[in-house]
Amino acid sequence: QNGLKQCLAEFRQQLAWVERLDVTLGPVVDPVSQSASDTDAVDPENDFQREMSFYRQAQAAVLEALPRLRKLQVPTRRPDDYFAEMAKSDQQMQKIRQKLKSKQEAMERSEKAKQLRAMRKYGKKVQTEILQRRQKEKKNMLNAVKKYQKGLSDKLDFLDDEQTSSQGNKKGSASQRTKKGPNAKRRYKNQKFGFGGKKKGSKWNTKESFNDVSSFQAKVAHNKGPGKTRKGGKKALNKRPGKRARQKMKNRAH
Amino acid sequence: SQGKWKNKKRVLIFSSRGINFRTRHLMQDLRTLMPHSKADTKMDRKDQLFVINEVCEIKNCNKCIFFEAKKKQDLYMWLSNTPQGPSAKFLVQNVHTLAELKMTGNCLRGSRPLLSFDPIFDKEPHYALLKELFIQIFGTPQYHPKSQPFVDHVFTFTVTDERIWFRNYQIIEEDASLVEIGPRFVLNLIKIFQGSFGGPTLYENPHYQSPNMHRRLIRLSVAAKFREKHHVKEVQKMKKKGSKVLVKEDPTEVVFETPAEEKPVEIQLVKPESKPIVKDKKKLRKIQRKKQKKLFKTEA
Repeated sequence: QNGLKQCLAEFRQQLAWVERLDVTLGPVVDPVSQSASDTDAVDPENDFQREMSFYRQAQAAVLEALPRLRKLQVPTRRPDDYFAEMAKSDQQMQKIRQKLKSKQEAMERSEKAKQLRAMRKYGKKVQTEILQRRQKEKKNMLNAVKKYQKGLSDKLDFLDDEQTSSQGNKKGSASQRTKKGPNAKRRYKNQKFGFGGKKKGSKWNTKESFNDVSSFQAKVAHNKGPGKTRKGGKKALNKRPGKRARQKMKNRAH
Repeated sequence: SQGKWKNKKRVLIFSSRGINFRTRHLMQDLRTLMPHSKADTKMDRKDQLFVINEVCEIKNCNKCIFFEAKKKQDLYMWLSNTPQGPSAKFLVQNVHTLAELKMTGNCLRGSRPLLSFDPIFDKEPHYALLKELFIQIFGTPQYHPKSQPFVDHVFTFTVTDERIWFRNYQIIEEDASLVEIGPRFVLNLIKIFQGSFGGPTLYENPHYQSPNMHRRLIRLSVAAKFREKHHVKEVQKMKKKGSKVLVKEDPTEVVFETPAEEKPVEIQLVKPESKPIVKDKKKLRKIQRKKQKKLFKTEA
């Protein structure tokens, strides 16, 4: 059988290459593809891989054949002014172009929709941030005004520093304000019970607070001190002398 | 087309009756792509295959591509060199035509193709023969009057999975960027004959399975599955019924059996007194009983 086959293979015509235009080559090695080792084992079921291998084989053939053709002075590029009948009619090409365009448009539309959605989300976030910032500023302003009203800070800087940069704020009353900070009572409570804002049981006794006798004042406890309950205590010290004493003082002076 | 057309070869492309639209389009596509081809009317299936040789001679063609459709499902393609040469029969699958919108390339009508082959074609003798056949049939001769002088598309023949895959690409740039134009099909070699449409068989493809066989196997496998299930069900039924185990008679069982005492047979000659009918006042009349039943039902 082999002999017969070879016999017939010789029976085939021996023509010049330019007549036959055939190239036998493996596919071009793709630098992007996984490895050169498994290019032989192209899985026929994997459509993409298979088609890519065909494509690369065609590419290899073209890369080899075109220089040869150029040497033999066979034209390969069609000049722009050469009009001839094509294998597919213009109508067909139009249809193809339309289809491609519609696909591209659909993709673009979906992309735009996605972007719009993302932007809307971002916009909403930014919006909420701005609103919060405004509310904060309003709160600060009101606090500053209240403080001024209560007499805690006697500077009206906060009104002016509204427009200027935050630097002015920092330099001016803000630092003073923050130095005084919260109330003494508040500070005491903060120190005693730590950060975290108002806690529910902050006024309850704990073991430490119960055992803490640092706030013990003996005079107050034994009621021996000068006493708080005194009407106009200061004035009492420099009590005005009586009529008689005053007259005596007057006569003595003259 | 300056120059003398020396390599005078013509290819006759035609088909038998009973082909479907896809095959017809494929045939037309091949005719447009190959300017050295000639068309002919459909051949009647009654005639034998060697009649084709005569048809070719009448048309003055020395090669032939003949499409044969069987059962309106399977498509076979014959490639042959008509006077004496070898011929090959293939089963054609996965046909896509020029008109498909995914094939975006285009080429000059009648331009000469570049033929690209897989290196496997050089390794086996039967593949080498097929390669020669393809070159002679698909290659357009130089200076053919209907051909264009430019080379702008490429036919690729690749051997994968024991089949020959055909693709047609358009060459866009000199750096080998390609776009697919044309029809694509897959050829499954059946046999190679020494003569044209006949003669001794030179090669038979061991991997070839006729489509009938293929369909039969599928049907058999489905039937086998069904039969398996049925068999399993039967076995289960048998198990359930179980074989009746015969237990030997136990003599000690009968020991305590005492037959009943025989009663004297009394024949009543006088009708017994009828019972006095006592009306149950608590029992409601029929209509009211029915009503109660209905209510009970609706409540429930």
